[in-house]
Amino acid sequence: MRKYLTIFLFLIAVTYSGLVTGQQRFPKPEFSSGYVTPSPTTPEPRANLLEYADVVVLLVVLSVASWIAIRKRSRRAMLWLSVFSLLYFGFYREGCICPIGAIQNVTLTFADPLYAISISALLIFLIPLIFALFFGRTFCAAACPLGALQDLLIITPFSTPVWIRKTLSFIPYVYLALAVLYAATGTDFIICRYDPFVGFFRINATFNMFLIGACFLGLGLFFARPYCRIFCPYGALLNIMSRFSKWHLSITPAQCIQCKLCSTSCPFDAIEHPTEEQKSETTQGRNLRRFITFGLLIPVWILVGGYIGAQSHVFLSKANPQVHLTELLIAHPELKNDTGNIDIQTFLSSGKSFEQQVKEAQIIRHKFYIGGWFFGGFLGLVIGLMLMNQSVFRKRTDYQPHKGDCYSCGRCLKYCPVKKDGTVEEIA
Amino acid sequence: MADDKKLNRRDFIQNSMRTTLGIAVVGLGGLSMLRSKGENWVWQIDPFKCTWCGRCATSCVMTPSAVKCVNAYDLCGYCDLCTGYFKNGVKDLNTGAENLVCPTSAIVRKFIEEPYFQFDIVEKLCIGCGKCVKGCTQFGNGSFILQIRHDRCKNCNECAIARMCPSDAIKRVPANTPYMIKSDFIRK
Amino acid sequence: MKDQTTKLKFVYRVMLVTGAFCTIVTILLLLNFWQIQHNKPLDNVSLKTLVDRLNADPNNDALKVDIRNLDLLARKAYFNSEWQVTTGGILLLLGAIAFFASLKIYRDMQAKIEVPVDLDKNDAIAGVLSQRWLLVTIAIFFVGALSASYLSTDYLKMYNNSIAGALKTNTNRIKQVSITSANDSTAKDSTSGANANVFITMADIRKQSNGFRGPFGNGVSTQKNIPTSWDGSKGRKVIWKVKVPKPGYNSPVIWNDKVFLAGADKGGEAVFCFDLATGKLLWQKAIGRLPGSPASSPEVSQDTGLSPSTVVVDGQRVFAIFPTGDLICLDFNGNKVWSKNIGEPDNHYGHASSLIALKDKLFIQYDSNKGGRIMALNVQTGNTVWDIRRKTQISWTSPVIMVANNKTQLVTSANPLVAGYDTETGKELWSVDCMAGEVAPSVCYNGGIVFAGNENAKLVAIQPGSPAKTLWENDEYLPEVSSPVAANGLLFVCTSSGTMVCYDGITGKKQWESEFGKPFFASPVITEGKVYAMDNGGKMHIVKVSRTKKILGEPTLGERAYATPAFTDGKIVIRGANNLYCIGEK
Repeated sequence: MRKYLTIFLFLIAVTYSGLVTGQQRFPKPEFSSGYVTPSPTTPEPRANLLEYADVVVLLVVLSVASWIAIRKRSRRAMLWLSVFSLLYFGFYREGCICPIGAIQNVTLTFADPLYAISISALLIFLIPLIFALFFGRTFCAAACPLGALQDLLIITPFSTPVWIRKTLSFIPYVYLALAVLYAATGTDFIICRYDPFVGFFRINATFNMFLIGACFLGLGLFFARPYCRIFCPYGALLNIMSRFSKWHLSITPAQCIQCKLCSTSCPFDAIEHPTEEQKSETTQGRNLRRFITFGLLIPVWILVGGYIGAQSHVFLSKANPQVHLTELLIAHPELKNDTGNIDIQTFLSSGKSFEQQVKEAQIIRHKFYIGGWFFGGFLGLVIGLMLMNQSVFRKRTDYQPHKGDCYSCGRCLKYCPVKKDGTVEEIA
Repeated sequence: MADDKKLNRRDFIQNSMRTTLGIAVVGLGGLSMLRSKGENWVWQIDPFKCTWCGRCATSCVMTPSAVKCVNAYDLCGYCDLCTGYFKNGVKDLNTGAENLVCPTSAIVRKFIEEPYFQFDIVEKLCIGCGKCVKGCTQFGNGSFILQIRHDRCKNCNECAIARMCPSDAIKRVPANTPYMIKSDFIRK
Repeated sequence: MKDQTTKLKFVYRVMLVTGAFCTIVTILLLLNFWQIQHNKPLDNVSLKTLVDRLNADPNNDALKVDIRNLDLLARKAYFNSEWQVTTGGILLLLGAIAFFASLKIYRDMQAKIEVPVDLDKNDAIAGVLSQRWLLVTIAIFFVGALSASYLSTDYLKMYNNSIAGALKTNTNRIKQVSITSANDSTAKDSTSGANANVFITMADIRKQSNGFRGPFGNGVSTQKNIPTSWDGSKGRKVIWKVKVPKPGYNSPVIWNDKVFLAGADKGGEAVFCFDLATGKLLWQKAIGRLPGSPASSPEVSQDTGLSPSTVVVDGQRVFAIFPTGDLICLDFNGNKVWSKNIGEPDNHYGHASSLIALKDKLFIQYDSNKGGRIMALNVQTGNTVWDIRRKTQISWTSPVIMVANNKTQLVTSANPLVAGYDTETGKELWSVDCMAGEVAPSVCYNGGIVFAGNENAKLVAIQPGSPAKTLWENDEYLPEVSSPVAANGLLFVCTSSGTMVCYDGITGKKQWESEFGKPFFASPVITEGKVYAMDNGGKMHIVKVSRTKKILGEPTLGERAYATPAFTDGKIVIRGANNLYCIGEK
């Protein structure tokens, strides 16, 4: 060591004695052989133009998918379109950026003054929502690579009872609210971090990512599109949009003949059956009373949710790396001597005072407190609306898709024996 | 008659809700658009903040990592005894494995003229462990720096290494300035 | 129909084959993963042991060959396994496509039209059931969230409460101390002034030699009756001589009857307190490993050592800093008041800037390879008062306190700035872009003019103000380690080549020069109109502050010396390479 140090000091002395300004320890030599310094290579990132090309591809795919769902009415066409999307947005574009993850970018645009979403990413976020408002969830049917991958791997879908589905449908809203909370506080992009399929598209990921992905695909063999139905936060937004879509895929092209052929065709249990005969006046009255009661309870739900969300800010904020590190140092000061803990050692050698670190962590925690009110309030609103929605009973005479839950995949279409002109196909 | 009324009411609710949601979505889009400068973002390592902890090699979603060592030739001293190339306390300056820092032999030492050598990184072999960066920055000019190579980077929406970086050296930057190659000893 | 069965059989076989293929590839990939996880080829332990053995036995050529072979093997293993993963991944993908395609075709061929069933036909009942389950789930969700929030500890809040509490008890304790010392009328030692809210003032500093280069770090002392002749080796006029337990290039400082200095070696860092009258080591405080201290001693040059920074004393506390970034505050009895590691400075020779204190603030010049920085900490708590980054490179100079234009300021020299900073806020008051190289000499001032210099740069006289004015520049003789000193309009510079030069402070004209032979690392200091400049051989060159060269004495210490001497009434305290001397009339 000593010897090395001497060499080093000698070198300093040698190189230093010249007309050095102290900018570098070992100034760049002046070569006598006419040597020219190379420049480091800097491979460019993907061109901006190509990002816009993705937007155009998305637009085209969505238009074609909407046309297939509403005019062409062909499952086969939809299938091949989804295969194309899987290849393009999945295996070629390797999953980033997708509208699901873009939720967080939009959030960060408003939360972080240093960040603003790029126009192409913003369009990728907005276009499927607008399409859903008019044509239903055609994005899920044919444009989303995550959906396409799961859709192709549906083997033996089992039907699940309504109450399980309705209860599970609460999860995407929690996921959405959490993702927004964590993005807004600059903590994490959880949607992207736990994207189960991106590793398959890249054929390169950490072991855990593959494991999560494999679990979802395995579950998907029997419970169709598990990620879309019980996790996808963007699906939750599309669900709301699609409920009010102007045109939506219909099972029958003309008048439903109530043949019940389509009743089990949907692997997602999104086909609603005709309602039973006229209910008595008293039941209707009871339902109306319930509807009104649940409606009036919504502000209460929002307040309760907000309160609980705000109460939860302490443990929610522990996911923030800075809060985590600070609390770790407070709870276990002896870890400061753990030379193997890179985070702690880097912090200690950064010269930043611990008071400053605590102060910053507290600012983040306070953001979580404010965010917690919104987080819980939003979930309270969702709960209130969901309960209210369960008290609405529409009279249905035909078999028709549930506009929110239907992915417009078109599987049911081929089961319907009714032709466009209203005639009925003979079944052998 | 009653059914008609019901139908009309449903249509009205549907239409007004659609309009409301449409305005909400377009409004959100418009507000974001106002803030947006239209530029794309890429991830970048700030070599002045980097502490060569070695996590770039292990935290990237890609194996091997999209982070590679880059020699900022402008800052390089072309030292015979390159402290990023040779191990600490090396006895003689030959290229035997016992003397070298790089675990994958990704640095090529090329003689230029007495007593100067050029050091190039073979990116195919580099795993971004930062061992050479440590040697170069602690004892030399700090011309070896870690950079995210955008031909390999998937530009994840959130960089997995950025989340793990202990010194907060990885940040989103506009895509037109994807690299920060050191050209001075301290940040100007 | 038969055609259909053979087709079905074929698809079934394809399914089996591809299924088996996928399973095998998956198992192989998992095995590969497990193998890589359990013996990381690039983090090879045996390779490390071999290298360690080679370090112990550098000429073992057989060992070198072994290392090279093992290294090649490890790299091969790594890149092979990487290739295996990539290839396996693609094979698995293709296999999976074939498997699922055949599985789908097989199931489609077997499919029959299912009997239509009516599920959940009664909407109302289903709705009520859904509501019930939703409510149950939400209840569980809410209760879970609430209990989690009650179970989780807010450490940040806890920390703040504990800090507030500690501050309270601390002030209480200090108050009690001051009460007892006030009652104890005989207590006339330096701690008698201990009070929570009494801080060192400019007037206090003027009377002491409390830091590097005396009062304000300017090298000019007001002490009287300083001897001009002694002989360290013969013991003439040496009141006492004691061995310093740990080495260090830092200088001794004096507060009333106590002498403080620091030392460090590989075994650790320490602060020492000696009795001025007898030379008795009153106490020594080993610093130990602070939270955040580097695991091993930093790599420093031999000319810097592990304890180059001089301590500073504020009448109640002594502060010390080391190249490890360890910063400690002790009371006058050697008890720790606070300590922290402010981050190991990225410094290729070792951090060498000395501390300085005024009122409630301790100032740290922290210029490292990561850029320039100055901090002010609260003397009682060590909390940061201000912390500024500045556009300078690494330096080894120490800050000097000066009052100019009605502002108390901290004046520093570094590449490329000589600048003054408001001691209250850290705001830059003025700066001149004139320094270059690796700056080690600190600035000095006299008559409102600041002098700075460095080898490979120049000697500059600056009049602070906004904007600051450069009065003159000169590059004939330049200091490298030793700082200049100025008094009565004359500037004295001692160089590393052993020359002492006197300049006119206003014009920059050289008055005289004297070749003393031995290099100067210690900084010259002035008292009673005499310059005391000690060369590295331990010879003190005592020169009159005058426009003509007049050597008043050249006493020797008898050992090498690099530290700047400290004065107190009638006495001079000098740190030699190994011993501490107190010189004066016995």
